[in-house]
Amino acid sequence: MKKFQLNEKQLGYAMILPSLLLVIVVTLWPVAQSFYNSLFDYRLNDPTRSQKMLNANIDLERYVDNYFYIDGQLSDLEGNAEGDQLEAVQQAREAIEGYHQELTSDAEINAKIEQIDEMLMNFEPISDSELKYTKVDNDFAADYRGALENISADFLSIADSTDNEQLAQSFEQTGSLLAGTSDNILESNFIGFANYTKYFQDQRMWQSLWNTFYFTVVSVGFELVLGLAIALLINRAFKGRGIVRASVLIPWAIPTAVAAMMWGFLYDGQTGIVAHYFEKLNIIPSASWLLSTSDGGMFAIIFADVWKTTPYMALLLLAGLQTIPNSLYEASNVDGANKWQQFFKITLPLLKSAILVALLFRTLDAFRVFDLIYVLTGGGPANATESISVYAYVTLFSQQNFGEGSVLSVIVFLCVALISFIYVRLIGSDLFAGRTK
Amino acid sequence: MRKRAGIGFYLFLAIFVFLVMFPFIWVFLTSVKPVGEIFTSFRWFTTSPTLSSYEAALTNRPLLRYMLNSFVVSSLTTILAVGCAAFAAYAVTRLPIKGKGLFLGVVLAASMFPQIAIISPIFNLVTELGLRNSYIGLVIPYITISLPLSIWVLATFFNKIPFELEESAKLDGASPFQTFRKIIFPLATPGIFTTAILVFIAAWNEYLFALTINSDDLWRTVPVGISMYQSEFSIPWGDISAATVIVTIPIVVLVLLFQKRIVSGLTSGSVKE
Repeated sequence: MKKFQLNEKQLGYAMILPSLLLVIVVTLWPVAQSFYNSLFDYRLNDPTRSQKMLNANIDLERYVDNYFYIDGQLSDLEGNAEGDQLEAVQQAREAIEGYHQELTSDAEINAKIEQIDEMLMNFEPISDSELKYTKVDNDFAADYRGALENISADFLSIADSTDNEQLAQSFEQTGSLLAGTSDNILESNFIGFANYTKYFQDQRMWQSLWNTFYFTVVSVGFELVLGLAIALLINRAFKGRGIVRASVLIPWAIPTAVAAMMWGFLYDGQTGIVAHYFEKLNIIPSASWLLSTSDGGMFAIIFADVWKTTPYMALLLLAGLQTIPNSLYEASNVDGANKWQQFFKITLPLLKSAILVALLFRTLDAFRVFDLIYVLTGGGPANATESISVYAYVTLFSQQNFGEGSVLSVIVFLCVALISFIYVRLIGSDLFAGRTK
Repeated sequence: MRKRAGIGFYLFLAIFVFLVMFPFIWVFLTSVKPVGEIFTSFRWFTTSPTLSSYEAALTNRPLLRYMLNSFVVSSLTTILAVGCAAFAAYAVTRLPIKGKGLFLGVVLAASMFPQIAIISPIFNLVTELGLRNSYIGLVIPYITISLPLSIWVLATFFNKIPFELEESAKLDGASPFQTFRKIIFPLATPGIFTTAILVFIAAWNEYLFALTINSDDLWRTVPVGISMYQSEFSIPWGDISAATVIVTIPIVVLVLLFQKRIVSGLTSGSVKE
């Protein structure tokens, strides 16, 4: 039986395709989308800004509903008002009807309005956003909005100055209805780089960026030095390697959030054993210092992170050490080199690429830090430990501000890209060695 | 440089292991204390050990449900990611296609992307698909973490398999896909298994997506569920330490069983051989 067969090349592309598509859909596309979102004043919790709109739009469902009442209320006012007030009402009607006619002169919009009118009469909900919103010219939207706001202001001032209480009430009612209607005309919320300008002047953004930077440098620095020391010490034959390896792997393997909860308990000002011992040993001024002061909070986070990832660093460096041939050390012994010379002339140069790769992954991880801080301190006290990722998360999901939050995400992304770029330049093609032929 | 180990060395090791394990030891000792004692003394060993904290941890919050959720999500992620990655890694290491460097570069870049930079569009996507508070809703974003990791680790493993095997298979008339399925795949099984463990652990530990997408208590995963034990007004340390012990046990078992594999998987990415 002759089956259809792919040749090697076709098979190769076919095998890569699923992964490539997935990476594009779940990583590259969302990053582009985040960038796009950051150019809008886009808030999930504000109905006038919950859509990204390059053009002005009208929320037809509410507009049509309001227009019906405006018509009726203006007729009432015309029946009751006199003199200047009557003239104001008539002018208002003329202006509003003018704009409404301009809107309905577009056949497509008119058809939508009629359909919605019918659905509203029957109390049907309008869930189709294609029907609910309609694009309009930006200038028209701004003019109509402005006109409605002006008339509303006029009516409210008439209401204030008139003596007839009932009439005043009617004017006030219509005035606020018009103000409400002006909110149905949604101007484009595309604001370009305005969000970015805002954050470049935002104290909290710079503070969180500094916190992240400080946390990354200090914790990765400690992890590297301690990790290297441990790797050098245990790079020898001894009994019980399994126990050491397991005890080193467990902190790495448990979820960071679980580790953060554990450390939260150990650091606690009243019940925390670590806080208690540190206070006894005069390492910290008081047991409550760790989680209630800004320096203490930062110390607590870095200490927990060093505990969790130093073992991992040691493991990577140990594997690197084991690839250095013993003969090099033997030869240098013959030449009379001392231990320090051996370390700086043999160990470090040969370990360089292992160190750089370990540093690359650790630096990126540390820069993205979220769970540890979010669970352990929540960014407090007074935002003193807030990392840029935590700030972005709070803006995105607690304040539901997807426009501004996306700016912070883009900032994290750019920082990470810069860090990777520097490392990849340092490491060079070694990074791909052993993966392609 | 490779010295024999002396007494001083073993003493150092013992202190090192003790310090690293101390948080676990203390949390375990706390979890068997009566609740009152946690808040009143720093004594290491309680005189009246009790399991009441464990009972509270399991009844106050659906901890077992969290574990089930984590298990299902991590397993699905692992199967999907390792499945796709096995194909991609094979193609990159052993088939004559163009743009390998570019593909690996994209994969490496994807693994470096900060999750916070993609979370809002992913959140919108999952919401639009109606997949919030479901297993698939988490598996989708977890691909961002697990797929690049799998491809990266698997590529190293595939590269270690001797190339002569394929050449002889080709001479015997096997098609490229047959070679992959019958020759390379069985030989790569240990590497695939190792990758699967790493991916499983990474998915099990993920916090940010799980926190945002599955906000309903019944669909929370372990890391998020644990962090919800604290309320604004009180922190039930007894419950928390018991819950910590319960969720750490599976990981300890996994590590003890597969420690050599995990180490080889972790270091394969960073060390040239």
